[in-house]
Amino acid sequence: MKLKGLSLKDFAIVISGYLLKNEIEVILTGGACVVIYTNNKYMSYDLDFVLISSDKEREVKQLLLDLEFYEEDRYFKHNDTEYFIDFVSPPLSVGEEPVKEITEIKKGGNLLKLLSPTDCVKDRLIAFYHWDDRQSLKQAILVYRNNKVDLKEIERWSSSEGMSAKYKLFLARVEHR
Amino acid sequence: MFKGIFGSENKGKILLYIYTHGESYPREIAKILGLYLNGVQKQLLNMEKDGILYSKLKGKVRLFGLNPRYPFKRELESLFEKILKFIPDEERERIYLPRLRPRRTGKPL
Repeated sequence: MKLKGLSLKDFAIVISGYLLKNEIEVILTGGACVVIYTNNKYMSYDLDFVLISSDKEREVKQLLLDLEFYEEDRYFKHNDTEYFIDFVSPPLSVGEEPVKEITEIKKGGNLLKLLSPTDCVKDRLIAFYHWDDRQSLKQAILVYRNNKVDLKEIERWSSSEGMSAKYKLFLARVEHR
Repeated sequence: MFKGIFGSENKGKILLYIYTHGESYPREIAKILGLYLNGVQKQLLNMEKDGILYSKLKGKVRLFGLNPRYPFKRELESLFEKILKFIPDEERERIYLPRLRPRRTGKPL
């Protein structure tokens, strides 16, 4: 399997497709979704996949070792790429709510499942809401400006997280160009 | 008390300690709870991997806290509040009731 020279998006598609062909379902979350949804305006090198079946951890590890990945700390790395993979324990959630809507990207016979743009914004906002992380706020704004995002849903969710005040900060930033 | 719910007595104590203290680091947790440092570090790393805890570096120290992104954080906190009621008074005051207000430098204890 050729990994050299792939973009993050193509790398994610190839890995996801490989795992799916071995009956292991993963969903991409975190900063890698921001990279994809902003067409590399933001850069990240780590791919966080939520493993839908947590009892498949050993199988996943073996499958990646078969591709000559090696494990360092808890990350999977490969000599042919700067990207590295982390498997996050389920459930797939944004804040206190389960993720219900998944986006799919198909390419070359492979399938990548990832957070929707709306949920990607929520995922970034959570870090801003709880840790005042301004970088995450900036990423949320970037995703919003480059995709179709359900602002009403983000408002509803922010309120249920008890973060209406901080949501208004986000809203003020996206409305001010 | 903790083993039935958390699978391990020490895991429950460590989580309750972190809950009542906001954030802490392995050496402090091990010292106050009377546990081996290696065991505490292993538990913390496992819980971080499971998404229950976050960690961050502050200077040279790695602090651990309850992950606000953990989907069951609110329910976990309710559970901890209930557990605190069942802990003997002496143990609760000694271990799980930290002094959070500042103390002037040099003031005798």
